Amino acid sequence: MSPRLQFAGISKLFPAVRALDDVSFSVGAGEIHGLLGENGAGKSTLLRILSGVYRPTVGSVLIDGQPVTLTNPVAARAAGVAMIHQELQQVPRLSVAQNMFLGHPLTRGGIFVARGEQERRAAEALAALDPSIDPAAPLGSLKVAQRQIVEIARALLDRARIVAMDEPTSSLTPSEFERLAEVIVGLARDGVAVVYVSHKLDEVFGICKRATIMRDGAVVDSVDLAQVSEKSVVAMMVGRELAQEQHRSHATGDVRLSVRGLASATKVHGVSLNLNRGEVLGIAGLVGSGRTELLRLLAGVDRASSGTIEIDGKAVRFSSPRDAIAAGIGLVPEERKREGIVPLRSITSNMALASMGVFAPRGVIDHRRLKRVAAEKMKRVNLRPFLLDRPIRLFSGGNQQKAIIGRWLAAGTRILLFDEPTRGIDVGAKAEIYHLIEELAAEGHSVVIVSSELPEVIRLADRVLVMRDGTIAAELDRASLSEQAIAAHAIPRTQMQAGKTGPQARQ
Amino acid sequence: MTDISENTATRPKADFLHRFSMRDAGTLIGLIVILAVFGALVPGFFAERNLINILQQSSINACLALGMTLVIISGGIDLSVGPTAALSAVISASMLVAGVPFPLAIASGFAIGLACGLLNGVLVAHVGLQPFIVTLGTLSTYRALALIYTGGNPVLGLPAGFRSIFNGSLFGLPLAVVIVAVVALVAWIILKKTPFGEYLLAVGGNEEAAYIAGVPIARTKIAAYMISGLLAALAAQILIGRLGAAEPILGNLWELDAIAAAAIGGASLMGGKGSVVGTILGAVILGAMRNGLTLMNVQSFYQLLATGLIILAAMLIDRVTRGRG
Repeated sequence: MSPRLQFAGISKLFPAVRALDDVSFSVGAGEIHGLLGENGAGKSTLLRILSGVYRPTVGSVLIDGQPVTLTNPVAARAAGVAMIHQELQQVPRLSVAQNMFLGHPLTRGGIFVARGEQERRAAEALAALDPSIDPAAPLGSLKVAQRQIVEIARALLDRARIVAMDEPTSSLTPSEFERLAEVIVGLARDGVAVVYVSHKLDEVFGICKRATIMRDGAVVDSVDLAQVSEKSVVAMMVGRELAQEQHRSHATGDVRLSVRGLASATKVHGVSLNLNRGEVLGIAGLVGSGRTELLRLLAGVDRASSGTIEIDGKAVRFSSPRDAIAAGIGLVPEERKREGIVPLRSITSNMALASMGVFAPRGVIDHRRLKRVAAEKMKRVNLRPFLLDRPIRLFSGGNQQKAIIGRWLAAGTRILLFDEPTRGIDVGAKAEIYHLIEELAAEGHSVVIVSSELPEVIRLADRVLVMRDGTIAAELDRASLSEQAIAAHAIPRTQMQAGKTGPQARQ
Repeated sequence: MTDISENTATRPKADFLHRFSMRDAGTLIGLIVILAVFGALVPGFFAERNLINILQQSSINACLALGMTLVIISGGIDLSVGPTAALSAVISASMLVAGVPFPLAIASGFAIGLACGLLNGVLVAHVGLQPFIVTLGTLSTYRALALIYTGGNPVLGLPAGFRSIFNGSLFGLPLAVVIVAVVALVAWIILKKTPFGEYLLAVGGNEEAAYIAGVPIARTKIAAYMISGLLAALAAQILIGRLGAAEPILGNLWELDAIAAAAIGGASLMGGKGSVVGTILGAVILGAMRNGLTLMNVQSFYQLLATGLIILAAMLIDRVTRGRG
């Protein structure tokens, strides 16, 4: 029997770039197939070919053994391909049902939208996936995980035979992932071929049987995941062995930052902590536990309603990030595109934004000095390609992140707050960011890291605070640090019970 | 997602040609084409006197457009420049007629411009209202104030001494042109060489990121509106100096020409992008076109048509050359 989906010798040439080079692999009906690779490996280009956005220069896509021409997204959908994007393409103000019928609404007589009928059919499609979703509710009122499920329900409505998911879980909590994983497994059971793209190897190993690894536009190998280790998969992605690194502590005994009873109006309820010179403090906890909000209070982005902050024994009070920056605190935010970079501006401008006073002591920017410092800091963070005048939007996520770190180095920041430091950053750049954080600590910077990736926290942190419901639920030192220990403190009791009795999605 | 950027990353050639100066070169080519066309069609178009005429006719719009460019870069818009100019004009004019010393009368006009800009800026930056709506409201408000203050009548009979200030010339150029050239130079320095310029580009380019990076958002926006108000007041002084009278309906639809010049020059109404050089070229393009069409005795209806088509053509060329946004 021919496979449900087959890529046969696909190459895609852009002016001056070969984005895909003779890519061939196949996915059977009912198979969940992982697609792995670093940013720029060609995964997105391949998905765009599958969804009809691009056409291959050479090669073809076969569905159930038949070559198909996917000239545009509508044709791809008609051929039974559904794409579920990383950044969901939905309209929050419209209802769930309206979103599911977006672009091809059910009508009465071709004029009036048949809302009732839409909602009935939407409810049918949702019933199998998550009956708690109300088709008439505005989509914006749903959680991200539920919105993913709405997208999948939409694929069911279209009778999709192939579902491609691009980083579906990048903003989901572990329990939400479990729920989504069940839905995906259910899809596969019904004979749908699923192409699953994710940076999170543990997820891919959890729900996929086979995976194809890409690098530089070509397939490295298609492997049976039961036969290979995560480490060897990473080596295939990166093209070299990434050394398994040991944690090294540079923490000293001097308290640099001391926080007492810090609270915000909503999500943070009385947090006290100390941060020493050269220390890397990890903050773990579920999404919504108040981790991000705590960082925002410390960075002056949001205002604290009560509590005190002392830096080097001196009380400080922040009414804006400017105050925090002046006190030596800088935030590397989670959503780089929205909160980190000014996309049209150069690397140099983005770097200099927080320290304009330094570069323009008499009101006019000293461009020679600015260039010198930019070259120095960007060399320090190993920016690639090393083009300081190029708009930052043209750089990969990892290099944008390096530029933001460079911003705080240029501003003389001594306390760096990282919110999800490696979100959306590929494996190779991840290791670089880790090294950078360690070097900064070794130089005497104090670092706070909020991360959902427990291995990341364990790799980097000298000490971990676990947050739950806006408070510190536990403090773990290196000796007592483990994923299990963190999870035990992070998850509220009730949810843990539910998790135990719930069906297991990961086999 | 990142594949596109990775692709362009491998094209180092593009890095030597800076995006902005390339855009300015495009505007310059547009100007040259328009000049060439009129030069061929209109005898005497290239006469020195006519070229100076074009500059003089463009100077008021250029003055407003420079302020507009800064506001647009900050992610806003200032629809109230015309009425701001009118209010500034009638106040200065009535003071001049009453015998108040020139410097004080002119300074008062500037103060009005700054105050109008301050109100716009505060409503946008501190109250958080949308710039389009705020300045639409103040457009009517400031116009009404000018009409109420004068009872709808023009202020006539400005002293000859005042008129000679703005009607003089320097290095063979009308003083108005020289003043606007100086303003343009200052605006260029502000945008390219000062922290304020970087802040404007950052606030318009990504306000949230700029805030977290410590950019003083409110101060930056308010300053942009105040500069726009000040330049509207300057344009008003130049105009009443030339006319010898101040009408409360002066500056009707000025905001549209100013926005047009900025947009032709490459400013993006999304914010975060714009060029002083481009805006000046844009203002001269509009001025040259009107001058040429007038010399050709083309009806004003067609001049309006031409203005509209130029704006659309500039935007289309922008879109096509920029490729995917």
